[in-house]
Amino acid sequence: MISQFFILSPRGDTIITRDYLGNVPKGSSEVFFRKVKFWDGGGHDAPPVFNVDGVNYLHVKDGGVLLVATTRDNVSPSLVLELLKRIGGIIKDYCGLLSEEAVRKNFVLLYELLDEVIDYGYPQSSSSEALKELIRNEPTILKPSKSKLGSPFQIGKGPTGVIKSVLDTTRTDSGRRDEIFVDIVEKISCTFNASGYIQASQIDGAIQVKSYLAGNPAISLALNDNLAIGRRESVTPDYGGYGSPSDVVMLDDCNFHESVSLTRFETERTLELIPPDGEFALMNYRSTYDFKPPFRVYTTVEEDRDSSIKAVIFIKVRADFGSDKVASGLEVVIPMPKDVQRLSCEYENKDIKGGITQSWDWQEKAHRLVWKFNKVPGGTEHTLKVRATLEDGFNAALKRGVGPINLQFTIPMFCASRLNVRYLQIQKADKNYSPYRWVRYVTMSNSYVVRS
Amino acid sequence: MSDSKYFATTKKGEIHEFKEDLRSLDKSKKKDAVKKVIAAMTVGKDVSMLFPDVVNCMQTDDLELKKLVYLYLINYAKTQPDLAIMGVNTFVKDSQDPNPLIRALAVRTMGCIRVDKITEYLCDPLQRCLKDDDPYVRKTAAVCVAKLYDINPELVEDRGFLDILKDLLADSNPMVVANAVASLAEIQEVSGKDVFQITSQSLFKLLRALNECTEWGQVFILDSLATYQPRDAKDAESIVERVSPRLQHANCAVVLSAVKVIMKQLDLIEDQTLVKTMHKKMAPPLVTLLSAESEIQYVALRNINLIVQKQPQILSHEVKVFFCKYNDPIYVKMEKLEIMIKLASERNIDQVLLEFKEYATEVDVDFVRKAVRAIGRCAVSLERAAERCINVLLELIQTKVNYVVQEAIIVIKDIFRRYPNRYESIIATLCENLDTLDEPEAKASMIWIIGEYAERIDNADELLEQFLEAFPEESSLVQLQLVTATVKLFLKKPTERPQQMIQLVLTYATQETDNPDLRDRAYVYWRLLSTDPEAAKAVVLAEKPVIADNSNSLEPSLLNTLLNNLSTLASVYHKPPEAFVSRTRLAVQRVDELQPTAFEEDVVSISNSDGNAGAAPSGKAESSAPAPDLLGDLLDLGGPAPAAAPAPAPAQTSNGNAGAAGGISDLLGGLGDLDMAGGVAAAPQPARYADPFAAPAPAAAPAPAAAPAVAPLPVLLPADKGKGLTISGQVGRQNGHIVYQLSFHNGSGTPLDGFMIQFNKNSFGLSPAAQNIDVPPLAPGAGGSAVVPLLQNPAMLSPVAANAGLQIAIRNNQQGVFYFNDVLPLTALLTEDGRIESSAFVSSWKTIPDANEANKALPVNLTNVEAVKAKLAAVNIFLMAHKQVPTTNEEVIYLTGRANTVGAPTQLLLELRFSKGTPGIKVFTKSNRPDLAPMLFDALPALLAL
Repeated sequence: MISQFFILSPRGDTIITRDYLGNVPKGSSEVFFRKVKFWDGGGHDAPPVFNVDGVNYLHVKDGGVLLVATTRDNVSPSLVLELLKRIGGIIKDYCGLLSEEAVRKNFVLLYELLDEVIDYGYPQSSSSEALKELIRNEPTILKPSKSKLGSPFQIGKGPTGVIKSVLDTTRTDSGRRDEIFVDIVEKISCTFNASGYIQASQIDGAIQVKSYLAGNPAISLALNDNLAIGRRESVTPDYGGYGSPSDVVMLDDCNFHESVSLTRFETERTLELIPPDGEFALMNYRSTYDFKPPFRVYTTVEEDRDSSIKAVIFIKVRADFGSDKVASGLEVVIPMPKDVQRLSCEYENKDIKGGITQSWDWQEKAHRLVWKFNKVPGGTEHTLKVRATLEDGFNAALKRGVGPINLQFTIPMFCASRLNVRYLQIQKADKNYSPYRWVRYVTMSNSYVVRS
Repeated sequence: MSDSKYFATTKKGEIHEFKEDLRSLDKSKKKDAVKKVIAAMTVGKDVSMLFPDVVNCMQTDDLELKKLVYLYLINYAKTQPDLAIMGVNTFVKDSQDPNPLIRALAVRTMGCIRVDKITEYLCDPLQRCLKDDDPYVRKTAAVCVAKLYDINPELVEDRGFLDILKDLLADSNPMVVANAVASLAEIQEVSGKDVFQITSQSLFKLLRALNECTEWGQVFILDSLATYQPRDAKDAESIVERVSPRLQHANCAVVLSAVKVIMKQLDLIEDQTLVKTMHKKMAPPLVTLLSAESEIQYVALRNINLIVQKQPQILSHEVKVFFCKYNDPIYVKMEKLEIMIKLASERNIDQVLLEFKEYATEVDVDFVRKAVRAIGRCAVSLERAAERCINVLLELIQTKVNYVVQEAIIVIKDIFRRYPNRYESIIATLCENLDTLDEPEAKASMIWIIGEYAERIDNADELLEQFLEAFPEESSLVQLQLVTATVKLFLKKPTERPQQMIQLVLTYATQETDNPDLRDRAYVYWRLLSTDPEAAKAVVLAEKPVIADNSNSLEPSLLNTLLNNLSTLASVYHKPPEAFVSRTRLAVQRVDELQPTAFEEDVVSISNSDGNAGAAPSGKAESSAPAPDLLGDLLDLGGPAPAAAPAPAPAQTSNGNAGAAGGISDLLGGLGDLDMAGGVAAAPQPARYADPFAAPAPAAAPAPAAAPAVAPLPVLLPADKGKGLTISGQVGRQNGHIVYQLSFHNGSGTPLDGFMIQFNKNSFGLSPAAQNIDVPPLAPGAGGSAVVPLLQNPAMLSPVAANAGLQIAIRNNQQGVFYFNDVLPLTALLTEDGRIESSAFVSSWKTIPDANEANKALPVNLTNVEAVKAKLAAVNIFLMAHKQVPTTNEEVIYLTGRANTVGAPTQLLLELRFSKGTPGIKVFTKSNRPDLAPMLFDALPALLAL
């Protein structure tokens, strides 16, 4: 099984190292780092699994650090990678977040954890909850003051705005706060063709739970009762008894955390579980059914009336979602045709209200224009007018060169699949017990591409 | 207060400071000190000298401190077991502590101390802990059984620990079940014994445990189930039924292992409706894997690649999910592309082509190239879509992006070969882009196209002439194509200009070049043209066989091996486990990979699936030919031996030593199996038919990308001494046996078969276990390899002082006998059980007379000592100790190994002295056979160099 485990900083320093079998030479972390750094001459990301001199190296990147395992056996790589991911999650649960600094500040605690997570190279307990009773060290929680944390939704995909250790629930002092966060996180992929039609779309969603409930009471979580799960190809689409597809939330496939009981799921779409402390994905799901894309982009290219070697390109972005919602941070990346030598931009609506700020940046080396917003309210429309100086003069094929345009955004309280939590119940007899309950939605772009 | 401050202390004298603090009575100071020590340990400092002080802290009630001490102990347990054993009394005491955490901690740590002495102390606590009331203790003890097995397997069996483990499979705690499974699986793998063989009785038990244990345990159970051979279809059906709920698991490893089990069992199920249902059921979970992180996606995609090669219908409707995402890392994109090609069909080709076209305009050059190739491969495999593919390629050529154009031309050449006389109208477009070509493969492809269609290109002579100008500087790939294309041009348009060109080309190719392939090809053409131009036409312009797209698909037997290894590293590398698993396992009864080129996964080419007109008749040649008595050809053997050569029976131990025949024939039986496996591994490599006249397919070119993964064997018999036959070989060890790895290349004009081997008497009594060499008949130009097991036979012992020389005779039916010499590497004789107690080492060193000592200074610069140790251990030279010589900067390494010499094995004792940074190393050796010393000195430089 696993011979060694180590955590490397972005510069390749070993911050944590553990040897379980002793059959891999000591310099392996340097061998690994050199290989990853200079994969294919340094141009490409190294694949997560590779072999050097009979030693297999498996790694994942998380929180800016590299989590690495080595082995000499023909192991299950997905098991090792899952475990590495899980170790990253455990570190987040115990230290509040995963970063080089957090690892360095908590290394004794992490060694203690690692000894419980892996024994003789075999995965043991990998649930933050179960580990709690075995751990004696206290975490050092980093203050989230650092600007790099930015908006809470930018770290990972989960309800991570909270930087808090699972060990918190075992405390009895007044500082303790019982709370549970349930986040419906959806990552959407959408590809538009040049005429604006959707070519392919997909939602990868998860119900992420972060629980800090002392005594671990059972909870039940009710989802839409018009939820249908099944395959598109089935001869007669099963809309679960609801006449038209528009009423139904359709998912292709889903899976659940092992703590979930599904006895009431088939009939009432209700999930029951005793949530372990810490963060976990209660349910993962995937849907390739149509949804309304939150952003549309339109490009037009015109000849400049004043100059034959210039073109005017209009990029229009429309936020196609309810005006009660606001996308935080929209970034539009527009590759430019080879012909374009220089360009300058103007905003069409210069004085927009509501504290919206926008900026553009011509990245000459990558030959692309980046247009950024701090926020975009639903229902609004924005246009960027680009005046480009051309090498060979205007031609009609220019439009094909503008793109493919990529969008990156986060829309809080928006759910592309329309999945929702009807209620979240904490089953505890005590009437006075009312912990904080947070149910939140967020939709993020995964691969949102407008082709030209 | 944070831990990072512990990293801060780097000043001198810190060790002394640590010592002080560790002895302190103040608990928190003590704890702090241990933390500092652990910090130092983490950054790679040697803090082993603090061992006694740290161990002293072990007896404490403070659990946190105790855990810290154990942390330190585990770290040094492996490297310095002699130190770790100092804590043994506390361990034993702790294993009876009322706190289950401490009991488990003690057992866990003891198991990590890899020294056989620990077993005396470990057994009783382990026995108790396996039956402990607390599941945490039981699960820790379950893993500990595997640890103990690695140190002392007999003890584990004698104490009945295996049976206890099997009982734990039915434990009430999921983690205990998981660890029992893991432990049994590990023992099964290291021992090669059937400790975890699934029978129809234990099957039920395991299937029940599947529902009861942790996710990791489920993976181990599923992996074991994958090896189970069900009795009948019913059996298989019930397994599939019980396993299929695992497909919904959130853990990708569980899903993939479940897919492996189901794929295997489905082969045996006759009920086609059930098979279809299962195929349908597997698709969504497989697709869901692609929603995971890129790292997991990559593993999933490599596995899906194998699955769709066997059962494309599982995902035939899902091609869309393999479309590349904007933010996919390149390693994911490349794999998705490969699967898209495999799933492309007439139904979805339009969508797929649209994607490929989009990808071909991206930024990453490698990805773009692969996308262009993908279009070509779809054209070759989907006849009805070929035209659409070509149109896309033409559009891409219009972009004038240099590498896109070149890549497109390469694939268009393949399309021409697949659909001759159909799309030649596009040649004009291609010819517009000659100037942009600067890569050999693209140039060669374009030249082939010009030559092949010379009669339809008005200015073919001009175009070729452009290329000919730089003929001497071109790579051999381009040169070969130029020679052929010029000949074609001349045959098709025998006018003045082509005549001049051909003169020029052939003169250069025959007189000025060092490349034998080029020269030979030019000579062949020259003679053909000068003797019979009509015949030349018939040969050179003959209709070429149509090609098919089978590039990037694995050869069926390898594919099956890999499917059996789904969700393992083998399925990610697309190589059989033997090719990269370096820990020699007795369980693996396979001969190591001898044909490293058997999996040319990276060679993107369309293989030449020729009808093989001129290839060798594969049948036996002249079976009636008198088989010359090989033994008779060797001098030292006494009486005439039976001449019955071809029978490959293991009974053929006609070495004049009937006495040992019983034992030997057993061994031969085993080796026979070994040989078979080698044969199977070698067999799928079809003899590549290199068409020297019009070899346009890249397969005929020696694909430079497929560099052999292992070093080639040294040549023993060069072709000029072997009448065209080349023999390479080396004596080595495989799975604890001495073997002769041989490889042959037939450079003679005739097929060769009936290879046999014999040795002359030699210093170690080595002789082949069987005379017949298990190598298939070799067609001209073909190669083959074999592994010949060697035995040590006192009758073959030469009485003179040991020397490494071997005299060997190999014959075949066509060419008679060849004699040659080889040198036996000492490492081939070193046995796996050569480790001895350090006390035995010391006493042997004292008792062996000094006259037997030999020494030599070797000009080796030892830098990476750890790596050298590992390298030595791999050839069974084991480390006894590594010390610093006090008051000097000299270091000493003591090593030992056991040479299997006839009569009694010889224990070799070694001492290496060297100073870090100063080149040169002094070697001292002692053994009962001083005559082995020179061989040892010969072997060492290669082993010590890195």
